[in-house]
Amino acid sequence: MAVSDNRPFFLNLVKIHLPVTGFVSIFHRISGLLLFLVTPFCVYLLDLSLQGKAGFNAAATLLAHPISQLISAVLLWSIIHHFIAGLRFLLTDFDIGLEKKQATQYAWLVFIIEAIVFTLLAVEIFL
Amino acid sequence: MSSPGLQGLRPWIIQRVSAVFIALYLVYLVAVLLLCNPLNENDWAGWVATPYNNILLGLFIIATLWHAWIGIRDIILDYVPNVVGRLLVLTLVAGTLIGSGLWGFKALFMVVIQ
Repeated sequence: MAVSDNRPFFLNLVKIHLPVTGFVSIFHRISGLLLFLVTPFCVYLLDLSLQGKAGFNAAATLLAHPISQLISAVLLWSIIHHFIAGLRFLLTDFDIGLEKKQATQYAWLVFIIEAIVFTLLAVEIFL
Repeated sequence: MSSPGLQGLRPWIIQRVSAVFIALYLVYLVAVLLLCNPLNENDWAGWVATPYNNILLGLFIIATLWHAWIGIRDIILDYVPNVVGRLLVLTLVAGTLIGSGLWGFKALFMVVIQ
């Protein structure tokens, strides 16, 4: 096999210019990984919150800490992006929006919808 | 490199079915929290102990952990090429998910019998 491959090969993520559809995709993966990583802590919080009023208030106190609030905000974004991008990927399963221009529009739509949902829920939760 | 039992149509379908269930449950949960907020020290345990909510939350935990297993497994198959490393990380992830599931079920069971 002739080897004359001059294509640039980057594993440097900063140098890879992703199209907007690519960002929907990689953020779907990153948000999923983040949500997996906090699973044990979420279960711990559920268990604690169900152990009487004292347990509920202990869980509430843990979540009220500024660092918890910051992590919660990142996780809120993670779950919303994972949700909205996931719906978009379900549409691709039905061959909806596969053409390049449409795919780009859907990707922007994902980010627009998630920004709106995040703002609404963040106001409800954190303010 | 083949990893028997880790590829194919079955996990693909499970990932989508669980996704739809999780999405519907989250919409239900957000609606409940917005409309008749039971997330306070007086109502929360009672709300979770209601058979309907207890069973749905249990199903949500199963669906979420299974969904996480398939998703994380895909990431591992993409980024961990070494067979031994792969087996090690997959085992760690499976242990974390099974442990979380058992812990969640313990919490759901205890709140019912109290």
